[in-house]
Amino acid sequence: MRTGHTVPTLTPAMIAIWVAFATVPLWIEKVGLYQYLGVEILIFATYALAYNLVLGHSGLPSFGHGAFFGLGAYGFGLAQLNLVPDLWFCLGAAVVVASAGGAIVAAFISHRRGIYYSLLTIAFGQVFWFIAIKSHAITGGEDGLLKIARLPVRLGVATFDLTHNISLFYFVLAVFVAVSLLLWRLVHSPFGRILKAIKQNETRARFVGYDVWRYKAAVLVLSAGLSGLAGGLFAMAQSSAFPDVMSLHYSGYIVMMTLVGGGLVTFWGPVLGAIVFLLARDVIGAFTTGWMLWFGLLFVALVIYKPEGLGGMFLRPARRKPAGAK
Amino acid sequence: MALFEAHELHLRFGDRVVLEDISLSFEAGRLSGIMGPNGAGKTTCFNVLTGRYRPDRGRVLFDGADITGRSPQAIARMGIARSFQLMNLFDEFTAFENVAIALPQTRRRGADAVGQAYGDAALVAEAHDILGTVGLGQRADQIAKSLPYGERRALEIAVALACRPKLLFLDEPTAGLGSDGRARLADLVRRLKGQVTLVVIEHDMEFLFSLADDISVIHWGQVIAQGSPAELRTNPWVKNSNLGKLA
Amino acid sequence: MSIVGLLPHLVNGLALGLLFALLALGFMLILGLMEQINLAHGSLFALGAYFAYAIATPRLPLPPDMLQVWAAVPLGWRFTAAMFLAPVLVAPFGVVLERLMRRTYGRDPLYGLLLTFGMAMVIEELIRIVWGTRDYMLPVPRGISGGFMMLDLIWSTYRFWAAGFAIVAMAIVWLVIEHTRFGALVKAGAHDSEIVQALGHDLEKLRVWVFVLGTMMAAVAGVILAPIWGIRPHMGVDAVIPAFVIIVLGGVGSFWGAVLGGLLVGMVVGLSGAYASEWSMLSMYLLLILVVTFRSRGLFGKKSVLEA
Repeated sequence: MRTGHTVPTLTPAMIAIWVAFATVPLWIEKVGLYQYLGVEILIFATYALAYNLVLGHSGLPSFGHGAFFGLGAYGFGLAQLNLVPDLWFCLGAAVVVASAGGAIVAAFISHRRGIYYSLLTIAFGQVFWFIAIKSHAITGGEDGLLKIARLPVRLGVATFDLTHNISLFYFVLAVFVAVSLLLWRLVHSPFGRILKAIKQNETRARFVGYDVWRYKAAVLVLSAGLSGLAGGLFAMAQSSAFPDVMSLHYSGYIVMMTLVGGGLVTFWGPVLGAIVFLLARDVIGAFTTGWMLWFGLLFVALVIYKPEGLGGMFLRPARRKPAGAK
Repeated sequence: MALFEAHELHLRFGDRVVLEDISLSFEAGRLSGIMGPNGAGKTTCFNVLTGRYRPDRGRVLFDGADITGRSPQAIARMGIARSFQLMNLFDEFTAFENVAIALPQTRRRGADAVGQAYGDAALVAEAHDILGTVGLGQRADQIAKSLPYGERRALEIAVALACRPKLLFLDEPTAGLGSDGRARLADLVRRLKGQVTLVVIEHDMEFLFSLADDISVIHWGQVIAQGSPAELRTNPWVKNSNLGKLA
Repeated sequence: MSIVGLLPHLVNGLALGLLFALLALGFMLILGLMEQINLAHGSLFALGAYFAYAIATPRLPLPPDMLQVWAAVPLGWRFTAAMFLAPVLVAPFGVVLERLMRRTYGRDPLYGLLLTFGMAMVIEELIRIVWGTRDYMLPVPRGISGGFMMLDLIWSTYRFWAAGFAIVAMAIVWLVIEHTRFGALVKAGAHDSEIVQALGHDLEKLRVWVFVLGTMMAAVAGVILAPIWGIRPHMGVDAVIPAFVIIVLGGVGSFWGAVLGGLLVGMVVGLSGAYASEWSMLSMYLLLILVVTFRSRGLFGKKSVLEA
């Protein structure tokens, strides 16, 4: 960050992205895709942004984030089916349940870093996944939690129905706008900059007085909570919650999305990654059966040659200029 | 009572005794030097004094409080800062942000997750002031990694200064510098002297003998001599050892 | 449950643990020398199982008359051929993987982890394309199939045989590592790769051979475990996780740590299976979390790349 540089709350890129998303329902069917894909992309974009809070912004390579997404999905579903079928309450439940899961994991792993962090998050992710599969009575086991309703948005004066994919899209867009705004503020706040400092040099951060593990724990809980929010939206979109999203595969997919899009170098990278990932699934999937083969190879190529991801490719030349101009 | 006291510190790594019965005290407002050959335990001693390692035995007192075995962050917050012999910066940050992140003001706002990190004019001015002190006033916007070696050394000290310490430990601040760089650093340390209590590990005898108020010589994990530069010059032990010849 | 009632679970657990240990040892060899986590190790294990299936059943892309000849060979021979041929066929995959990973040597080990995760996905998808998503069983020759009675209990012959085989395979690996020049180089390289280069040895070649060895160990474990676990596309991911759990549990860089870790995991899974078979795999993770919380480097671990 530059000297005395304050970061505007709203940037042209941010508004352009929001507006571009807002137009999606107008043309998505005309290009041969379908409305629900837009919903899915926005949910995963939100999830990937939340995930990148740990990977890109704090340097914590979690490989078990699917657990938090899944906890949110189950939290939403269970709150709706057993407690109060109110949208705000259920989304709140999704966030609380996922944050609690994040807090448990954080308590065990916040003093770790690097590969150990990855391995332990895999272990915890598997624990949550396993519990979800085996607790038939609560989660419905592998059959999943079914009959989750798309609850209406109650805003006091007015109520909006979300059963149609287009109305759901705009609701999810509103959540995406809120989350991306919050995260944008966060990464440029003292908290966010301290996380970035810890990412670069944990030792030095301690020696200038930071309780490093507290920051690492806090950011994991926060990221888990927002991932859970995305999970809650996903449960609503799918009208169900399944253990799949908690598996190692799905936890890996979110890492793939984030990295492919360029989450390590740009704030919006994860959004690009989510778009590319889901489009690849549908478009490549339309031509061949094994879309993951091609996407996996793309991912491997990126890791080898361009770890900054697709977003990084566009950004690099622009970034070099100011340094060279000095 | 001295500002900082260490009593009978012992530390072993496995079966190797690294520190054996080290006692040191540093008076407020002075510059204390620590010298000794490579592998004598100087940096390990620093690491114990600043909380990186916990001593097996012994006590460390700062401002009358027992800080033995406290975490580095707790010790830092009490007002003890340190620089590192091997450079230890926030490489991707600008020089400005390296300093700004270490300021107590930023630390106090650590739970603020929505406000501007560096929106406060006083904070910005303070960071620039510190950069100016170490001669990096013109480098504020440069990424730490891209700075030349000597300037990274200066930034290393600036980050420690930004903690606003009462006591500042400098671990071989001139390591790897040429004579120009050394002169500039000596000048900086001289200016800092009086503003903050300093403890400096140094190989460069000229540097230390010209600046320090008192010097402790550490060898084989023990303090083998202690005194003012003048006293040490006549100390027979120091005279007879290689250290004495250098001095 | 009586002690005798627990015995079969214990024996099953031991057999599973020994095979896990074999798989984990290959994983650790690569981790030790390359300082990279190979998440695709499980995929190599899965390929071993699928190739063995193709060789033994037989479903090979051969001319019909040749296939008929091969099908007429007794299953015992076909199974034996599968055991030795499948690892050889999987080895080239390991070589390709090593070539891809070269770019990540010396970089943050996270990149190796990501790369091999990507490759695991690729191989799993390849398996789905070639063999489909359904489960297969690897037939076991009559001599080692079925069960026998002992202490009024029925015991699976194959599990005993598998455990014995795993012990022999690990003994060979141990001999190679402890008593050959190759092993000495691998150990030296895992400690400090510059030493190997300074001694004038080709580190690149050494890495390839270690990868081949690790790959073949994974594939052998896949073949032997296939009749117990069944063969399905995600068996690779199912297997790589126990492997890394064992390594973290036993401690990176310790042969006996891996063996003990494997046995521990196998027994915990086996015994918890006696009480709550549904939950048995969970016990493995809880064991890991418990051990690592109190002993951060595992049971026998030294400082390693994992702490970077």
